[in-house]
Amino acid sequence: MKPVISIDIGSTWTKGALFALTDSSLQLSKKIAVPTTQTNLVQGFTEVLASLLNREKLTPLKQMVGKAEIYFSSSAKGGLRIAAIGLVPDLTLQLAKLAAMSAGGKVIRSFSFSLTKSDVAELEKLQPDIVLFSGGTDGGNTKYILENAHKLEDSRLTCPVVYAGNRGVAEEVVEIMKSKEVIVTENLMPEVGQVNIEPAREKIREIFLKRIVNGRGLSEIVELFGSQPKPTPLAVFELVSAIPQFHPDWSDLAAIDIGGATTDFYSNTESYLETDTVILKGIREPRVKRTVEGDLGMRVSARSLLDTGRVYIEDRLRNLGIEPEVMEKFVEKISGNTEYLPETEAEIQLDRILAETCVYYAALRHAGGWKETYTPQGKVYVQTGKDLRRVKAIVGSGGFLAAEGSAEVMRLPLEKLRSFGDEKKLLPENPAFYRDRDYLFPLLGNLVEKYPKEATTLALASLEIASDEGM
Amino acid sequence: MEDKTEREKDTIILGVIGSDCHSVGNKILELFFTAEGFKVVNLGVMVSQQEFVDAAIETNAKAILVSSLYGHGEIDCQGFRDLCIEKGLDPIILYAGGNLVVGKTPFSVVEAKFKKMGFDRVFPPDVDLKKVAELLRQDIQEKFGSDSREAKLDKSIQAKESL
Ligand code: B12
Repeated sequence: MKPVISIDIGSTWTKGALFALTDSSLQLSKKIAVPTTQTNLVQGFTEVLASLLNREKLTPLKQMVGKAEIYFSSSAKGGLRIAAIGLVPDLTLQLAKLAAMSAGGKVIRSFSFSLTKSDVAELEKLQPDIVLFSGGTDGGNTKYILENAHKLEDSRLTCPVVYAGNRGVAEEVVEIMKSKEVIVTENLMPEVGQVNIEPAREKIREIFLKRIVNGRGLSEIVELFGSQPKPTPLAVFELVSAIPQFHPDWSDLAAIDIGGATTDFYSNTESYLETDTVILKGIREPRVKRTVEGDLGMRVSARSLLDTGRVYIEDRLRNLGIEPEVMEKFVEKISGNTEYLPETEAEIQLDRILAETCVYYAALRHAGGWKETYTPQGKVYVQTGKDLRRVKAIVGSGGFLAAEGSAEVMRLPLEKLRSFGDEKKLLPENPAFYRDRDYLFPLLGNLVEKYPKEATTLALASLEIASDEGM
Repeated sequence: MEDKTEREKDTIILGVIGSDCHSVGNKILELFFTAEGFKVVNLGVMVSQQEFVDAAIETNAKAILVSSLYGHGEIDCQGFRDLCIEKGLDPIILYAGGNLVVGKTPFSVVEAKFKKMGFDRVFPPDVDLKKVAELLRQDIQEKFGSDSREAKLDKSIQAKESL
C-alpha cells in the first residue's frame, strides 16, 4: 500500500486528501480543508499536508518530503487569467476562448478584428497571465494579425503571448514582437471549421508551470516534492476526459461546478451527429469541452448573477410567491460575505434559486441549439454549437452542488431551458443526476495523469445519486 | 496550374445562400474548381451572408461564388457587397449563379439587378464552367496581381520546412 496525497489550493480553501493505493485500487483515507492564506499559498498547503501525514501543524515542509507521493493544483489568486484575441468572433475568436477555457483558464477579456487603442489600454490594465493570440487560417488572413502584432509589441504588456494563428506569418509575428515572450504553436483553425485546440492547450499548460507557478510563490513546493501543479479546472477537465476511456458505461457525461465566483460546465460527448436532416453551422466543437462563466456564482458573483439571471429569477420568485425585494436583500447580504451559509428555510430556498440560475445560464451558453426550417423533404434543423442530447449522467460538483442532495436544482432549470427563443436547446435528453458529495473531482483530477484507471474508478464510486424529492 | 503548391493557390469560397438546400450543384462546383487549381472552401448549403464573409476574412479569399437555386436568390443576396465593404473585404470578387431567374424574366434583367447589387459576374445554370474558371483567373490577376504577399512569405517557410 502506498500513500498518495492530492492537494488543491483554492482561493478561499486549501483542500487535501490522503489516498491509499493498492495494486488495483485507490481508497480515500482522510480529507481536510483549511483556509487559504492569500499572501502565502504555501502555508495552507503545509498545514493540510501536515494534518494528512499526522504531523504537527507547524511541521516545516522539508521534513515531510518523501512521506507520500504528492500531487497538487491551484486556482488561487484569480486562477489562470487569459486574454483571447481572434479574428472573426464566430470562428477563430470562439476557438481561442474554447482553448483557453479547456486549458483551465478564465477568459478575462476577448477581442476580435483590430485591437483599438482602448483595447490595448484595457489589456495593459488587466495584466493577464497569458495572451492567446490567434486569427486567420493557414495561408489565410495576415493583415489583421500583423497589425495586432505591432500593437501588442508597442504595448506595456509583460505576460507571455501564445501565438496560435495563421502559420504563414508565425515567424514574422515573432520578429515584430521581439520585446515580448512569444510562444508559437499550431493554428487553432488551420482550415475554416477545422478545430485544432490541443497544441495551444498544451502550451498554456507549460506556461502555467513555468511562469505562473513562480509568480504565485509555489515554486518551493515544486522544488521539494518534484510534482507539477495544474490549474484546478484542468484537473477536473482531465478527469472528465478520462472517465469514458476507462468506464464505457459512462461514455457521455457532463459536470457542473457552481462556486462563489464562477460556474464551470464540462461535457464529454460527440458534438454533432451527422444526418440528412441536421446541418451544422460554424465550428464543430471538441468532444471534451469546458466553459466557465465569470458572471455566474453564488457569492462573489451573486450581484452579476442577479443581473444576468433576472428573467429566470423573477419567474421562479413569482411561482413561489416571493417578493423580488427579498431576493435583492439576500443578494446584498451574501455578496459582501463570501463565506455565508444560509440560516433559515427561506434563505435555503433563495440560495437554491441562485444555484438553479447558475445552472440555467451556464447550460444555455455551453449547449448548442437547433433551429427548424421547412423543406419539401420535411423539417431540416440547423445546428449551432454542441449537441448534449446523448449525455446520460450529470454530476454536480463544487461547493453548492456537492452539498445539495436534490437533483431538482439541476433538473428544473434544464427542463425550463429546453427551448430558448426560436431555438430548441440540445440538452441531455434523460440524464441521471449525481453529486460529488466529498468534492473529490479536483483532487482525483490531479491523479489522473499517473493513475487514470484508479482515479476514475474512485471518482465514480464516490458519486451519490441525487435524490428526486426536492423543495 | 497543377504545379502550384497548396499554399500558392488562390482561395475561393463556395456556398448556397439563404435557406436553400439544393446540394448537388454545390458539390459539382467544389470538385470542378478544386480540379482547376483553386483552394476551395466549401461552406455547403444554407449559408448566410455573414458566414460567407467570416470565412473569406479568415482565409484571405480572393473570391466568393454564391449559388442560389430555389428562387429566392435576389432577396438573399441583397446587401452582400455592402456587408463585404463593411467588413473590410472591399476588393473581393463576387460571382452569383444557379437558378437566379424566376418566372419569365429575361436573364439580362436579372443579371443587371445582381450587378447593381455589387456582384462582378452573374451566370445562368447552363453556363460552361470552364469559361467561368478562365474568367475567375483573369479577374483575380486583375484585382490582386499574381505575386501576392502571401505567396512570397510561404516560400520562405517551405524552404525552412524542407531542411
Ligand atoms: C433535385 C431538386 C430538388 C431537391 C434537392 C435535393 C438536394 N439535396 O439537392 C428537393 C426535392 C429537396 C428540392 C426542393 C425544392 N426545390 Co428543387 N429542384 C431540384 C431539381 C429537380 C434538380 C436540382 C439539381 O440538383 N440539379 C443538378 C445540378 C448539377 O445543377 P444545379 O443545381 O443547377 O447547379 C449547376 C448550375 O446551376 C451552376 N451553378 C450553380 N450555382 C452556381 C454559382 C456560380 C457562381 C456559377 C458560375 C454556377 C453555378 O453550376 C452547377 C453545377 O453544374 C431542380 C430542377 C432542375 N432540373 O434544375 C429543382 C428546382 C431547382 N427546385 C425548385 C424549387 C422551387 C424547389 C422548392 C422551393 C420546392 C418547393 N416548392 O418547396 C424546394 C426548395 C427547398 C429548399 N429549401 O431549398 C425550382 C427553382 C425555381 C426557381 N429558381 O425559379 C427548380 C428549378 C424546379 C422548377 N423548375 O421549378 N429540389
